[in-house]
Amino acid sequence: MILKKLSYTILISLFIVVGCENSNEIKKRDGLIVYQEAQISWIRNFNPLSPAGSARWPTLSGIYEPLFIYNSITGEYVPWLALDYTWEKGNKVLKMLIRKGVKWSDGEPFSAEDVAFTFNIKRKHRALDTRDSWGYLKEVVAMSDTIVKFEFKRIYVPGFDALATQSIVAKHIWDKIDDPVKFSNPSPVGTGPFTEIIRFDSQLWELGKNPNYWQKGKPQINKLIFPTYPSNEQVTLALLSGNLDWAGAFIPAVDRVFVSKDTVHHKYWFPLTGHTTFLHTNTKHPILSDVRVRKAISYAIDRELVVKVGMYDYTEPAHVSGVSGPMSKWHSPYLDQAENWTTYDPGKANMLLDGAGFIKDETGLRYTTDGHILEFDIIIVSGWSDWIRSAQIVSQNLKNVGITAKVKTYDFGAWISRMQKGDFELAIGWAEKGTTPYALYRGMMSSEYLQPKGEIADVNWHRFGLASADSLFREYEQTSDKNEITEIIYELQHLFIEHAPSLPLFSEASWAECNTKYFSNFPSAENPYATLSPNYPPENLLVLVNVQNR
Amino acid sequence: MNHSLNYLLRRLGFYFIAAWAALTLNFFIPRLMPGDPAAIIFARFRGKLKPEAMNALRETFGLTDEPLLGQYWSYLKSILQGDLGISIAYFPEPVTSIISSALLWTIFLAGFSLIISFSLGTLLGTIIAWNRSGKLDSFLPPALAFIGAFPYFWLAMVALYIFGFELSWFPLGHAYGNDVTPGFNIPFILSALYHAALPALTMILVSLGGWMLSMRNIMITTLGTDYIAFAHAKGLSSRLIMLRYAARNAILPNFTGFGMALGFVLSGALLTEIIFSYPGQGYLLLQAVRAQDFPLMQGLFMTITFAVLAANWIVDILILFFDPRTRK
Repeated sequence: MILKKLSYTILISLFIVVGCENSNEIKKRDGLIVYQEAQISWIRNFNPLSPAGSARWPTLSGIYEPLFIYNSITGEYVPWLALDYTWEKGNKVLKMLIRKGVKWSDGEPFSAEDVAFTFNIKRKHRALDTRDSWGYLKEVVAMSDTIVKFEFKRIYVPGFDALATQSIVAKHIWDKIDDPVKFSNPSPVGTGPFTEIIRFDSQLWELGKNPNYWQKGKPQINKLIFPTYPSNEQVTLALLSGNLDWAGAFIPAVDRVFVSKDTVHHKYWFPLTGHTTFLHTNTKHPILSDVRVRKAISYAIDRELVVKVGMYDYTEPAHVSGVSGPMSKWHSPYLDQAENWTTYDPGKANMLLDGAGFIKDETGLRYTTDGHILEFDIIIVSGWSDWIRSAQIVSQNLKNVGITAKVKTYDFGAWISRMQKGDFELAIGWAEKGTTPYALYRGMMSSEYLQPKGEIADVNWHRFGLASADSLFREYEQTSDKNEITEIIYELQHLFIEHAPSLPLFSEASWAECNTKYFSNFPSAENPYATLSPNYPPENLLVLVNVQNR
Repeated sequence: MNHSLNYLLRRLGFYFIAAWAALTLNFFIPRLMPGDPAAIIFARFRGKLKPEAMNALRETFGLTDEPLLGQYWSYLKSILQGDLGISIAYFPEPVTSIISSALLWTIFLAGFSLIISFSLGTLLGTIIAWNRSGKLDSFLPPALAFIGAFPYFWLAMVALYIFGFELSWFPLGHAYGNDVTPGFNIPFILSALYHAALPALTMILVSLGGWMLSMRNIMITTLGTDYIAFAHAKGLSSRLIMLRYAARNAILPNFTGFGMALGFVLSGALLTEIIFSYPGQGYLLLQAVRAQDFPLMQGLFMTITFAVLAANWIVDILILFFDPRTRK
């Protein structure tokens, strides 16, 4: 009796479930479906100034726009809300020419006043000044509707990056906001191609075109659609089932998993970013402080194998300068005279280690002079499987030259804490990134960020400082002359290669997939007008204004 | 009745102390984790953010060097005022508003599957114990124990792949379809039910066996006691004996288990929520821990603690009702 009732209930509920229309494939496509942030529930926040980085994705690359966009593929600045710039008075004054005819999405005119206001609000609320611009700025004023003057209290030419790529907000909106740090800006007014929030639910939100966009006829696509995806697995499934048009996700074996399902429309492009993933060496460690040991470790690593096994061959072995791909134009012309210690040469590694006094016993293990076994830990974030596999190869390689290296994994919080406090021996990690190799070399060799062991160092985890590099950094910061800049970078590069403060492991690539069934003109290797990865705001503006309906 | 009231009050007192202890642990344990939230946010940018940003971040989140004890007092004070603070990962959203939306989905999905699984399992356990060595009794326990032995995430992934991806019977994730507007309307409710079906089924499938087996085992013990034999001798109908005499007694340990499970519903649906992209508490907790978002972690732990305690108190009352012996 009870069983009978029960089975009826089950049958009826099954009937309801199956009776529902199958909505797995979204058939009608009136907007570009994008994945950039792993989220399970959307929170309405469009504050482009907040340092917390908790604003929804196209805030910095669709709703608000910067003065210039740095194109990471060409390595050039693209004029955007500003048209041009000049350095004056021995690089103490920077003037920018602001574009005419731009309107805010509420119809108000945009002018140089808005630009000056944006920088001055950061001065008033120091929490907003994430790039510490007011550490070198004296004042920012609008000289007319189209000219903004930045006056510096100390000459700092690399500060241009931060000033040029700042998202500009509307003065007539933001001067009424009491606490811009905690403002979630639920209904943004921007100059970008997409500004109108059509719908905002916990699971899906939609962003429509700016009715007053300054580039006539753009954007072509109607709206952007953002469903929530909490994990890479969900993103992959959505890509495979054709429910996602543009994503920046790491997909293992992408040709087999993704492209083979629809070879015509399923595309990916994983270009090199120019930056490098490092095997960091703690130079405060008594043994790793010896440059011969660091170089020996580097020679012992078979980077081809690391890239093949660890990184699915998506990238390439690191260049000894630490920069590659679109940054290769910075390679010094005298590199052939420098030591190329990122080549695989176990013989050289053994020779260096013998020379440094680490003797092999009959089992092939090396010992220090006071009789301890020569061993290091390589620390990795647990669950970052590509890096864990890479570290395992490194460990194997080191064993071949007599060094014992154990791979240890830590939770992200614990890992970052160890890196910052210098509580590690070897570790795979990233390094500083910038528009020129200056950022990398400064993070690698400047004593500015050098901290004793145990103190928190936000960068320069490997703890290496070089006085001769410091003076080069000061020189670099003073000059806006292209040739001088290039010469200084070459010198820094040779210092880096001489001292090997940390070991470049493999080049970084950016992950991006797209589905060209409904939309076209995504960037690709054949049409490299910008990077495809949505993880590069504000560069993604270039993509959003150029993608077209099919 | 006086005894009962006394008993309930005593339990309530105990729960107050338990709640205070849990709140204290909530505060101190996350702070024992290495690293700090500003550093983690900084590190998320993987070198794209300049080190100068650290000061701005620390200032934004109001991270202070105040001694722990002082922070602990202000934490207790604000909790009593119902203020759980501002989330760091979802800055500047208040913790209460983040939790409240996730809480509803979790209660809906995990709560309903628990109730279905508990009722169905207990009922099946009663029936198969009554007709022991019947066809159902020789088939169901091993079959469900077999399914229950699979790792849950594996089972859920396979279910998602087969029924969601290959056969397209069920959606691939989310709590409702993209073509409906959340609110009290028929299309939304149907869509929510449809989206909850597969995750709920997987949760029921793996937990059903446990409820059924524990009910069956206690039921069999109960059926062997003298008063059941006496009830038979009195000539009572077998349905009456099964439900009113045997099951009423045998269900008590299952009730205690139910109380525990009800509390864990709020935290335990983590894997389901991740696999099916379901916007509930479990996934939020994972995010909070990853970002070292202390205020959000504390808020979530607090709701879980209070849910466990409240569920247990309700079970105390239920047991009082079902078991006259506790009333003495």
